[in-house]
Amino acid sequence: MAVKDIAEAVVVMDRVKVVELVKTEIAAGTEIDEILNAGLIDAMDIVGQKFSDGSLFVPEMLMAAKAMKAGLEELKPHLSAGAAVSRGTVIIGTVKGDLHDIGKNLVALMMEGAGMDVVDLGVDIDAEKFVKAAIEHNAGVVALSALLTTTMPTMETIVAAIKEAGIAVKTIIGGAPVTAAFADQIGADGFSADAPGAVELTRKLLAA
Amino acid sequence: MNRAITNFDQKILDSIHKYSLELLSDTGIRFPSEKALGIFREHDFRTDGEMVFFQEKDIQTALDTVPSVFTIKARNPEKDIRIGGDSYMMAPGYGPPFIIEPSGEKRNALLDDVHKFCKLVQTSKYLDFNSSIVVQPTEVPQETAHLDILLATLLMTDKPIMGSSSSEIAARDSLKLAEMVWDNTDEPVMISLVDSLSPLQYAAEMVDSLMVFAKAGQPLIVHSSCSLGSTGPITIAGSLVISNATTLAGICLAQLINPGTPIVYGLGGSPTEMKTGGYVNASPEDAKHTAIVTALGRYYNIPCRSQGALTESFCLDYQAGMESAMMLTTAALSGANLSLHACGTYGSMLGMSYEKFIADEDLCGAVKKLMQPVEFTDDAFAMDMIKELGTSGNYLMEMHTLKRCRSEFFIPDLNIRTIHNKWLEMEPRDNVERAANILVKRFAEYEKPEIDPDIEKRLVQYVNQRKGM
Repeated sequence: MAVKDIAEAVVVMDRVKVVELVKTEIAAGTEIDEILNAGLIDAMDIVGQKFSDGSLFVPEMLMAAKAMKAGLEELKPHLSAGAAVSRGTVIIGTVKGDLHDIGKNLVALMMEGAGMDVVDLGVDIDAEKFVKAAIEHNAGVVALSALLTTTMPTMETIVAAIKEAGIAVKTIIGGAPVTAAFADQIGADGFSADAPGAVELTRKLLAA
Repeated sequence: MNRAITNFDQKILDSIHKYSLELLSDTGIRFPSEKALGIFREHDFRTDGEMVFFQEKDIQTALDTVPSVFTIKARNPEKDIRIGGDSYMMAPGYGPPFIIEPSGEKRNALLDDVHKFCKLVQTSKYLDFNSSIVVQPTEVPQETAHLDILLATLLMTDKPIMGSSSSEIAARDSLKLAEMVWDNTDEPVMISLVDSLSPLQYAAEMVDSLMVFAKAGQPLIVHSSCSLGSTGPITIAGSLVISNATTLAGICLAQLINPGTPIVYGLGGSPTEMKTGGYVNASPEDAKHTAIVTALGRYYNIPCRSQGALTESFCLDYQAGMESAMMLTTAALSGANLSLHACGTYGSMLGMSYEKFIADEDLCGAVKKLMQPVEFTDDAFAMDMIKELGTSGNYLMEMHTLKRCRSEFFIPDLNIRTIHNKWLEMEPRDNVERAANILVKRFAEYEKPEIDPDIEKRLVQYVNQRKGM
């Protein structure tokens, strides 16, 4: 059951061991899909679960994600074209007029850790840039962040612009002053009060 | 003054300073403002894009011109505040966009809340000056919200004010309004908070308002914070170096613009909650950080700001009391000269609470009492009386006791000091309900302080004009 050892190595954040075990399994002729699913993806589900129940801390979760990615790099040359190694693409940014990015960065890191492709546009991002990036990267979710109450109306503008562009992408919002009621009011598809919640929400939206 | 947590080895402070200088000269600080970059270049600082690099002599020259003590004038001269030395001044919450209700519900703060908190500050026995954003009113246009707050603060209170540093325009508005109230604004008539971004940079808006206030010679709190473990190193030592370097760079800019600009030095360092990545203010680490920062303030001979009565709690429970007391007491005893957030905040400063405001006032009063030196005069020793009463005395009957019975001890307004039976019969017994009763009284006893009607008219006119009314 060496594939399970890969998952265990991911959970204990041992990047070197993950790479070594993935190489061994490839050499032994184990199915690539099995290594990917039972080794790496399952591991991130365990990590996600442990993180959600508070037994794993943020830096540990991020380090486990890094170990998983290292294993994935080894697998990539062997994956058939079009194999789903990503759970989907997320465009994330702090909205125009707001320079606060601590929360946004954390959410981006955690989404990457959860196996999503994340395009981080940075801070002070207007509607046009969000729309352009969503189209260019064929994104499943656009995540908007704000800390200032003054920039909350900008979220509304951006959500409206994305709808107007007619692209099939879900919008989610977050940040200290933002509420679920505000998300409903501006027609966003989701809201989370914290980073782990944002990852869970995105996971659901991408799977839908 | 009781300053218990002051025993830091000079060598530790020297190391923090030395490493800060190393960051300032090698890594630099980002100032995304053309005007600020122009000033640095004028003074032959090395710049690279928006990065500015500082040499030891630049920092020393700046530090040499910062006054160690200064006075901010209030509208009522009896309420002027002296910042520096042994003084410790308190202001209420700064920046929360929400009100946390006793039910636990969170609602958007409104201009009416600003007005109510102005009334509470004005009638407070313990708060010394106003905040410029006691809450952020959410229903008014955000571009002019600072005008609504400044006007309310100037008209409804006669305690010193804070200027608005949310933008260059807001800073200029603050000065314009002050010029209508005070004949001479060459002296400090307000103090304004400039916060850096971490790590090692300032936002353009903050730099621009710093420049406006410095040019006018108005005092600035130059403050840099790190979240330990996310926007800075997880260790207090490392985060101190980052924040200190950033604050020193801001102080340097203010002194280049106007040597002698009064400064309050401040660094913040709060842990990142490792289970969620969230921001945690009220913690023993933040309290310890405060103690070292105040030592650094003395090291530089600059008045020092610290955090106030902070809590992570959202209700008036043991946690709120314990955390608020730990934070404010540490600030006071370690030598801070000024605390924002001394009254009213919940949840890492996210929301203001009226009931917590009242509870915190008891804490502020207790802390101020704690800081008062114990009296050792002949009258306090009272040797004649002690000898006269010998072993049979009843001190309650003495004139010495009578004269001091209302001033010798701290008298809480909310906290109870009663016997168990009375407590059982108390109506209401719950501290939140008792705070609500105090609030009713406070709002009823509030009187708008006198102001020259012409000045009031001009202030209102200016604000209306700026708001396009």
